[in-house]
Amino acid sequence: MPFKPCEASDIDCLRPIRVIKSDVFRLAALFAFLFLALTGILVCTVLWIVEGTQRAALTSANDADISTVINGFRDEGLYEAIEVVRQRLGSSTFRRAAHPDCYIVIEDEGQQKLAGNLPPLPVKLGVFAINLPDADNVFKASEPGTHAGSTPILGRGVEVTHGIYLFVGRDTTLLSATRERILRAFLWVVLGAIAIAVVVGLFLGFRFMRRVDAIAQTCKSIIAGRLEERIPLLGREDEWDRLAGAINDMLNRISALLENLRQVSSDVAHDLRTPLTRMRNRLEEARTKSTNVAEYSAAVATAIEDMDQLLAMFAALLRISQVEAGTRLSTFSKVSLTEILENIYQIYLPVAEDNQQSLTSVIQDGIYIHGDAELLTHMFSNLVENAIRHTPARTRIEINLRMENELAAASITDDGPGIDPSEHEKVLRRFYRVSSSRSTAGHGLGLALVVAIAGLHHAKLTLADANPGLQVKTTFPSDRDRD
Amino acid sequence: MKLLLIEDDIELANSLVERFREQGYVTDHVSDGKTGLTEALRGDFRAIVVDRMLPGMDGLELVRALRREKSTPVIYLTTMGGIDDRVQGLEAGGDDYLVKPFAFAELLARIRVMTRRTAQASPKLSAGSIEMDLVLRTVARGGRLIELTPQEFRLLEYMMRNADRLVTRKMLLENVWEIHFDPHTSVVESHVSRLRTKLNHGFAIDAIQTVRSVGYRLLASN
Repeated sequence: MPFKPCEASDIDCLRPIRVIKSDVFRLAALFAFLFLALTGILVCTVLWIVEGTQRAALTSANDADISTVINGFRDEGLYEAIEVVRQRLGSSTFRRAAHPDCYIVIEDEGQQKLAGNLPPLPVKLGVFAINLPDADNVFKASEPGTHAGSTPILGRGVEVTHGIYLFVGRDTTLLSATRERILRAFLWVVLGAIAIAVVVGLFLGFRFMRRVDAIAQTCKSIIAGRLEERIPLLGREDEWDRLAGAINDMLNRISALLENLRQVSSDVAHDLRTPLTRMRNRLEEARTKSTNVAEYSAAVATAIEDMDQLLAMFAALLRISQVEAGTRLSTFSKVSLTEILENIYQIYLPVAEDNQQSLTSVIQDGIYIHGDAELLTHMFSNLVENAIRHTPARTRIEINLRMENELAAASITDDGPGIDPSEHEKVLRRFYRVSSSRSTAGHGLGLALVVAIAGLHHAKLTLADANPGLQVKTTFPSDRDRD
Repeated sequence: MKLLLIEDDIELANSLVERFREQGYVTDHVSDGKTGLTEALRGDFRAIVVDRMLPGMDGLELVRALRREKSTPVIYLTTMGGIDDRVQGLEAGGDDYLVKPFAFAELLARIRVMTRRTAQASPKLSAGSIEMDLVLRTVARGGRLIELTPQEFRLLEYMMRNADRLVTRKMLLENVWEIHFDPHTSVVESHVSRLRTKLNHGFAIDAIQTVRSVGYRLLASN
């Protein structure tokens, strides 16, 4: 995916509109909505339960009154039923109540009211609600100024006997008052929830935007060329810090690679300049001073030698970058480290002898690793050649291969002058050459290639003081551990 | 001896054609892959020198197509010096692989080795007074047995198979020790000097001729 730089307007200062568009704010709004929906369902349920209970209470009270009247009628006839109604309405506690809740009417065939505190009603059986205008309300009529309203009554109409109709009902004002109170409470809760959601949403949104802006701002700085910029961590170890940490690590890696690249390019440029200058001087000298073919051909021969050295340097650089690219991993297979090192020993034995050095080997049989034989040969050749080239005559060099803690460990040890421990790390870098080796031919890339090949094989490369001399050791991961 | 050169760098091609002519080779030159393949299939060449990257048809493809019909020896010239590139080139059916820039002597030596008459599959090799038994792994000069290490044996075998031809240092490294990089030490020189000492012991004629800064030649007339 191509890198798309963020628009400048995206990174500019905080604006509420962006907060509202932010994910966190949307999330807060969604949760507020869900909360409201749930509260709504809860309120409906509460209303349903409360009203149901109240209605049931009213209905059963009505039914109790109805049975009293019917019992009276059954026992002693119509007059007794009428008497029961009168007594029921005329009981002292009832009469004194400011808002009585019991309304009864008992009427005959001609809808003539026989007793009760309601106007005669049309005959209707079962449970139903009526609205009693205040003017007809025996309780309200006496109170001045309240004639405008009416009283909602829920009751049941029954036929006591043929032609005798009884209605018992109760005031349901309380019911609607309860409903109103619950709904009002719900409204407050809703308003509060919306207010809290907005405040929390804005707060979280701003916080979110602040962190996003910090990251975006850093990106912008880096795009503008300040590659050393990093995203500030707040030390809360929250997900933002984790993200910022990961991004910073990535940036560190990228800038290390860039730095490496910059270093290599400047080193290449520098290391090219020296032999090129030398070559140019020699050719120039040949042109002005040479007088015969022999002199010319000598000058050309040295120029070709210089050029070959440059080409060798390029070849080494190319190989390092190819190895570092890691594409050779696909050709890894089980290789015998024993055979590779035996071979190296056979190849370099005469070379060391010609240099009056002694090359010995202690190589354990049957050691295999997962790797690339050609690259490993190149790596160990470089190490043995370094030992041969950078040590004087009569130096003893040993190639050693054995299993150490179940890991294959190969080491090349010499008893030559060694390398100062302070330089152990530096010699592994590209183009770095210890001052004592500047006189010998080389391009300072041999160990860099060793590092690259060891890295490709996940091998640990260590330089140690062999007292006297140098030991370079590579420890390979066991064949079983490979990924 | 006729060669086919398939190379799109005209300057390099012209210089190569000229130098091949000096060495007694007639060279046909084409500069793109498709014509190259047509020519290679039509003509009768001793060897084909082909660039890896060509307009029209990639060098690899060309060699693959050629191999379906002909076994003319092929050497690649290439700027692609990676291990994989070399392996791919040889797997496609090429016989040798030379990374640019190269010394002309190197190319010439490789072509001469490639175009040698294939020796009959005899278990014995001989060059002048030197005889090699590939089965018994013995070497004798003038009837006298010479003890060689396995590596010296391989070195001598390669030189005997190419007796009287120049073998470069690079060819020895690749074919005897399978080293595909430039060592910084005198690996070839040290081994050849040991072999030479053993071969020449008690003989007046040096069996191995040194070609300065290029390579060696085992003389068949030793």
